[in-house]
Amino acid sequence: MKSTTNCKIIEILNLSDEQLAELSRKNVLSLSLAEMKAVLDYFKKLKRNPTDVEMETIAQTWSEHCKHKTLTGIIEYTEEEESGKKTKRTYNNLLKETIFKATVELNKEWCLSVFEDNAGVIDFDSKNGVAFKVETHNHPSALEPYGGSATGIGGVIRDILGVGLGAKPLANTDVFCFGDPNTKASKVPEGMHHPKRIAKGVVSGVRDYGNRMGIPTVNGAVCFDEGYMANPLVYCGTMGIIPKNKIEKKVNSGDLILVAGGRTGRDGIHGATFSSVELDTESDVSAVQIGNPIVEKKVLDTMLKARDLNLYRAVTDCGAGGLSSAIGELGEKTGAVVYLDKVPLKYDGLYPWEIWISEAQERMVFAVPPENKKKIVEIFKKENVEAVFVGEFTNDGKLILVYNGDVVTSMDMSFLHGGIPKPTRPAVCKTKEEKVQKPVKMNSSEILEVLKASLADLNVCSKEWIIRQYDHEVQGQTIIKPLQGNSIEVSGPGDAAVVLPYTVVKGTKKGVVLSNGLNPQYGKINTYKMAASAIEESLRNAVAVGADIEKISVLDNFCWGDPNKPEILGSLVRAANACYDMSKAFGVPFISGKDSLNNEYSIGGKKYSIPPALLISAMGVIENVANTVTMPLKNKGNKIFVLGITRNEFGGSVLAKIKNIKTGVVPDVYPEESKVLMKKIYQAINKNFVESCHDCSEGGIAIAISEMAFASGKGVNINIDAVEVEIKNPLTVAEILFSESNGRFIVEVKPENEATFMEILNGSVFAEVGYVSDETKIVFESKKTKIMVQEQLEVLLNAWQNTIDW
Amino acid sequence: MKKIKVLILRTAGTNCDYETQAAFELCGAVVDCVHINTLIERKDKIFEYDILAFPGGFSYGDDIASGKILANEVKNKLGDEVREIALSGKPIIGICNGFQVLVKMGLLPDPKLFEQISTLSYNDSDKFECRWVYLKTEKKVKNESSCIWTKNLPDIISLPIAHGEGKFIPGDKKLLDILNKNNQIVFRYSAKDGSDPGYPLAPNGSVEQIAGICNTKGNVFGLMPHPERYVFALQHPAKEGFDGKYGCGRIIFQNAVNFVKWS
Amino acid sequence: MFEIEIFKKKGFKNSHGEHVLSDIFELAIKDITKVEYSPLYLIDGDINLSEAKMTAVELLSDKITESYAVRRYSDLNSKTVNLQMLSASVIEVCYKKGVTDTVVESVMKAVKDLGIDKDIKVRAARKYYLFGTVSKTVLNIIATKLLANTLVQEYKIK
Repeated sequence: MKSTTNCKIIEILNLSDEQLAELSRKNVLSLSLAEMKAVLDYFKKLKRNPTDVEMETIAQTWSEHCKHKTLTGIIEYTEEEESGKKTKRTYNNLLKETIFKATVELNKEWCLSVFEDNAGVIDFDSKNGVAFKVETHNHPSALEPYGGSATGIGGVIRDILGVGLGAKPLANTDVFCFGDPNTKASKVPEGMHHPKRIAKGVVSGVRDYGNRMGIPTVNGAVCFDEGYMANPLVYCGTMGIIPKNKIEKKVNSGDLILVAGGRTGRDGIHGATFSSVELDTESDVSAVQIGNPIVEKKVLDTMLKARDLNLYRAVTDCGAGGLSSAIGELGEKTGAVVYLDKVPLKYDGLYPWEIWISEAQERMVFAVPPENKKKIVEIFKKENVEAVFVGEFTNDGKLILVYNGDVVTSMDMSFLHGGIPKPTRPAVCKTKEEKVQKPVKMNSSEILEVLKASLADLNVCSKEWIIRQYDHEVQGQTIIKPLQGNSIEVSGPGDAAVVLPYTVVKGTKKGVVLSNGLNPQYGKINTYKMAASAIEESLRNAVAVGADIEKISVLDNFCWGDPNKPEILGSLVRAANACYDMSKAFGVPFISGKDSLNNEYSIGGKKYSIPPALLISAMGVIENVANTVTMPLKNKGNKIFVLGITRNEFGGSVLAKIKNIKTGVVPDVYPEESKVLMKKIYQAINKNFVESCHDCSEGGIAIAISEMAFASGKGVNINIDAVEVEIKNPLTVAEILFSESNGRFIVEVKPENEATFMEILNGSVFAEVGYVSDETKIVFESKKTKIMVQEQLEVLLNAWQNTIDW
Repeated sequence: MKKIKVLILRTAGTNCDYETQAAFELCGAVVDCVHINTLIERKDKIFEYDILAFPGGFSYGDDIASGKILANEVKNKLGDEVREIALSGKPIIGICNGFQVLVKMGLLPDPKLFEQISTLSYNDSDKFECRWVYLKTEKKVKNESSCIWTKNLPDIISLPIAHGEGKFIPGDKKLLDILNKNNQIVFRYSAKDGSDPGYPLAPNGSVEQIAGICNTKGNVFGLMPHPERYVFALQHPAKEGFDGKYGCGRIIFQNAVNFVKWS
Repeated sequence: MFEIEIFKKKGFKNSHGEHVLSDIFELAIKDITKVEYSPLYLIDGDINLSEAKMTAVELLSDKITESYAVRRYSDLNSKTVNLQMLSASVIEVCYKKGVTDTVVESVMKAVKDLGIDKDIKVRAARKYYLFGTVSKTVLNIIATKLLANTLVQEYKIK
């Protein structure tokens, strides 16, 4: 190989360690010294220097984004209690030993594809599976909120198009963490956008891309915390449906490599490595891309036709790392030769390495048997989709790249995919005993003030401003919607969405339920409980609309700080352990996941890390969508029950924030109680003994009941003394109302169904606490303490709705 | 018995084709979703169909203005054929983006004239919004309209909308008077009791709350709301429907299918 | 090369302009009294004036609510078409070269559909007329904090 004007030889054979490290830094390769040395060793064996294309290929393939080397690397973990007692454990592969392990041990026969493809797939009915994937697109969204979030949603949609032989997207989800939108402009660091501008831009980006793709955005959440000011989190998810006989990919030697969709430009060069690099004010411009949803829509329309005609054997999307990752993955077992000059370009002047790693959007790569060459191109051409053959899969296990007749890369696939040295990282977690706060005593009017403040809190308040901008009903299949009411006018916050894919599976009654759980406030104190709570919350949300916990799967998305800091990595290990424990205890398998590390940014030389966030996204299958419920109260005279135990748990709670309480126990999860309760609720809903049901989470009982009331325009009378509470740490009236204990639901039952309902619940903790009144106000009363809180629904609704009205 | 054939015109960015197809199929029709490129290649094919539907979506990204590029394309390349079908009395429906296309190519409100004399402009709120609205049907206001699509509907119905450019503006006062006089304004946004709504039940600032119109003959119909998203009771936010099962959107599609069947 | 500017006709709501005005208020800038928004298209290639006008009439403007101005690029500095806009400050925003602009691709396709089968290049911009007395510094703030993200867009203040 020789240097040409287009392709440079990179001198590494004689470099010292320092020079290797400098080379990695200077060329934005983001490779560690150990990795650079592995590269050096490989090329020593080949007795030559690598080309720039080869170095970039390795950097992309080995990037954190593509390889997840932290979570799959060796971690030496130490847990240190306050007493000084230390427990040590070494993980050779954290993912395999926690999250993935639970899935393997649970061994659910309805899991069709887990952790191996672009998305997890579970059984839907005898002929179809449903696939779900959630991705993050954080750093680009910080710099260019609109383009960043749009390409985030565009990318995860392509994951669904690229699962198996391609699934048809049915629904999107989006979860965001932003800085405080009320931050003073002067407090925003130089070079960063104001959190409100980021929030608006991100929402617009998801709106414009998702709406144009014709995929309803049906579920989501938003968390505001000043810790996300310069580093917002943008999670985008897509669920799709796929015939069971299209789940497997197979690449044969001799299959042609077809690239279809958008053209290749300099977009997103170094995006994969960039997403693992801390943000600073001079981030690389070309890492940011703007997407074109209509190009992707055309690809979707045409590729599903080609799929149904069996015209290709494998497909994957061009995501991080571009063609390098896509063809590298598909050709891992076979080898591939690619003629880079054949790739259609947006404009001239790209170097071969840029063509190869560009992250230009809206591209898919197919493995096409030669005999289908003409047919498949015709299908794309008919609807104006550019599709070009750029090479073929071989049988020598080598990656060969050719540009204008010159070989610019010749490497073993085995080295590319298996040659990365495993790093060893120390991780430390110092656990702290959480103490119950001083009893929170409030009189009636103070409670009412806190209730209104809680409803207006950024993390509780209505997200209608966002939700309405998304077409959450396109495709006509959104049966349980994100905003719920008993008429079309009033809107309360639904717990989960249910999609009935009747346009794809004719005559089906089955639905797909989607929900999520996220609470970074808990993670500031205890990441184990944060993870456990997020998992339970996602399950509660799904169960609250009528899902069967036996048929729910979950996805993990970790967004964390710098894993080279032992304490940060330690907090992640703890969360991963919670994932294993909860997955096993609830019998709910993880089917896919993703992590985004290095969510740190520096301002004036000082480094800040985001509050760790674990998003749990749940997907389940519902047998009959007619047997689902929404959260607004239905009829006066119906009884209201609180299910589950209310404990004295206020760590990271909304009340703690409003009242500035620094102590308090973070809500724990009691799967042995919760799981049984969830099964009973499913039974009750499925047999139509439940009129409405709502998950109890941020803000506690008071918030959940208020939401059910104002969503329906129906009042309630609640006897606080009747709520079942723990005896160990007694609660004041205010604490009962605002505790954020997990494992609780509010349920409305018709008087005539009360006996049967109670029979079903027999053995679990629950209490009848009141009834739906014929007034338009809520009343919370404790006769024991002579507390009576009452307020008009309209006032509460306004408090809830007016916070985000941009 | 004769099968009623429906053509759903697709292009880049069309995205309500599946559910529109499902709605027509539910009413017993046979549906083909055909890409405009295919149709331009074989223009005569269009006459094989009994009903023509322009579905919702974001044709060509709705760049420049919603429906504009597709409206021009249809008018320049299939204009004669589409106009002929409209004048022949076959049912034609444009939903949301399809309505924008019909209005911007001038097939509505007057296919004889076939010129754009009204428009659908940006919502007063300047943003895309998805919500359910009430619609007052024409007969509630005046005598029954000639519109074949909206027969047998209750006085007030509810349907979801999802658009950023749905504000109907007639070119001048005279046109508005004509539309009123001929009972061509078949749907108006309304409050639940039929009274004039405020925002958000009046979602976009349309002149006289216009949500859907037809030609004088009543066979060409365009509307911003999405009837194809409410063919089952289950699709309603409170699961309301007729006979406990169907959504009123279904009646609209059934009307067209029945019209062809019995004509 | 032609520049085509689209205006809202009098009497029709410029909802986007109003939206921008309220966003400017949120930046604690109170001196702007009105904002008018105009889409702007630059078309380069061997098209003639009548083709440019046809593009403006048939494609880029709405027949009911909008009017347009077609200017030869060479005339741009000599002729100011819209007198009522004279008192306003102007901020023009467009994507930097190399950044995907979906509108551009759509316009190129749609111009061909009009029967103008010529090789053209298109750029699209957003033009804001801001009424009220404000300094260049304030205009820069409005441009950078609200209208343009300088990472992917560039802006001009006139």
